[in-house]
Amino acid sequence: MASAWKIARKSNAQLPLLIVIALAVVLVLLGKAQSGLFDKARAHITDLMAPVLERVRVPAAHFDRWIGSLTEIFSVYEQNLKLKEENARLRQWRNVAIVLEGRVGRYQALLHAVPDPKMNAVLARVIGRANRPFLQTMILDAGRENHALPGQAVVDARGMIGRIYLTGQRTSWVILLTDLNSRIPVTISTSSGSVGNIQAIMAGDNSRMPTLEMVSHTVVLHGGDQVTSSGDGGLLPAGLPIGTVVSDGSGGWRVVLLADAGTSQDVEILNFSKPPEALPANAQLPAEAAGLRPVAPPPPRPSTSPPIPQSALPSAKPKALAKPQAPAAESPADATSPASSDDDAER
Amino acid sequence: MASLERAGTPPRFRFLVALLPLFCGLFCVFLSNIPVSLLGGLVPPPLLGLVPVYFWCLVRPDLMTPAAALVIGVAQDVMSGGPPGVWTLAFVLTYGLVARQRDSFAGLGGLAAVVGFAAAAAFACAVAYVTVAGLALLTLGAHLPTLSPILSQLAMTVLFYVPAVLVVGSLHHKLIGASRGDL
Repeated sequence: MASAWKIARKSNAQLPLLIVIALAVVLVLLGKAQSGLFDKARAHITDLMAPVLERVRVPAAHFDRWIGSLTEIFSVYEQNLKLKEENARLRQWRNVAIVLEGRVGRYQALLHAVPDPKMNAVLARVIGRANRPFLQTMILDAGRENHALPGQAVVDARGMIGRIYLTGQRTSWVILLTDLNSRIPVTISTSSGSVGNIQAIMAGDNSRMPTLEMVSHTVVLHGGDQVTSSGDGGLLPAGLPIGTVVSDGSGGWRVVLLADAGTSQDVEILNFSKPPEALPANAQLPAEAAGLRPVAPPPPRPSTSPPIPQSALPSAKPKALAKPQAPAAESPADATSPASSDDDAER
Repeated sequence: MASLERAGTPPRFRFLVALLPLFCGLFCVFLSNIPVSLLGGLVPPPLLGLVPVYFWCLVRPDLMTPAAALVIGVAQDVMSGGPPGVWTLAFVLTYGLVARQRDSFAGLGGLAAVVGFAAAAAFACAVAYVTVAGLALLTLGAHLPTLSPILSQLAMTVLFYVPAVLVVGSLHHKLIGASRGDL
């Protein structure tokens, strides 16, 4: 045994440092090109650790709260006054919101507006947090078993926290909005109201306040402007509250997030999937709604004569232009329907 | 190994004892990467995995090989959740630096020993930061990660070095210490 171990050490364990460094460099490049193997390992380890994390979560949260209370004990009185004032203001806003919600609902009904897509949500508990130099994440106790999938938005009662980027069987990793790799298309509702909504990209940089990028130089933002998800790209639902705009003091803009990922305990995973756009029914097409029936294309005739140049037939031009419009105005179902061709024949 | 034989370590345990630095490094990585925040996420966790790498690279480089440093780095990458390979490269390069300057580092004592470890940890953090910044520039445009989190992690690592090295040193003296004579 001892001699075998000596031989093994001589042959394998003493890898030259250069080879190991080269291996590490290859690992960096490989991880950048395809991080699936690492992600699977992480998800598997987190799944294994989930029961332990759930047990540790409660005492850790208590300790965390206790540490927090030590720092806040000196400002309890001021905070209480501030909260009371804020609560009174929020009650007023709540009443306004209820009235406006009813009004928007009536307008939508009048305009036959397309309703917002319905979202299923999975309630999950935060069982772990990691605040690392190159990653800001939290771990949830819902995974593929609970239909949590990468890309889904994670929100708490206050607003959006981040997106799921890795799912195990029973756990999920959430990339926070503050993480370096987070990029979210957002809409900024200006308080002046003169420019309307502004589209931008909110990018995390591992600081507490993500930056706003891709904002046009002609646009003037104001502190306090509301930031919500824009829904561009169809990955996230539109209108999720995210935060408010603040100036960073150097001409740029940052977002103060509404949600506090450091204290959230229960969150929702929004299962948002935009359904494919359905073709409108015939009766809803503008021409049919106006009482006009689309002209069916004439049946194809076998061409026996040589083609005539278009320049020689000036009167044929409008026909040639009008011809493709007929199929475009009707749905594909009508083109193959024998009933529609009969109707056209009668006309 | 000859020293382990001389010390009277039972043969069946020699293999395990020789792997102790590696296991210790892996345990430290696991310990520092448990995703539980006790301070509200104010500070990042220390790089505890670097302590066994540094310690045994100076004391018993035959037990803490470059391959062991590589394995500990990979574990740190998997557990920490960051970009793959970053800490692996940082640990291996730090191991190389410490191994090359072994005489200088091993001769330090007291506060100077802490400063020596701080220099090695700073080198590891610098390698990790430069690697992540390079990857970020490749994929995200000119968007560098902020420096303060990595500096906080360096400070935490140095802060935790003294208690960690006491535990590691105690393990070394109790389980591997008999073989120190042939260094």
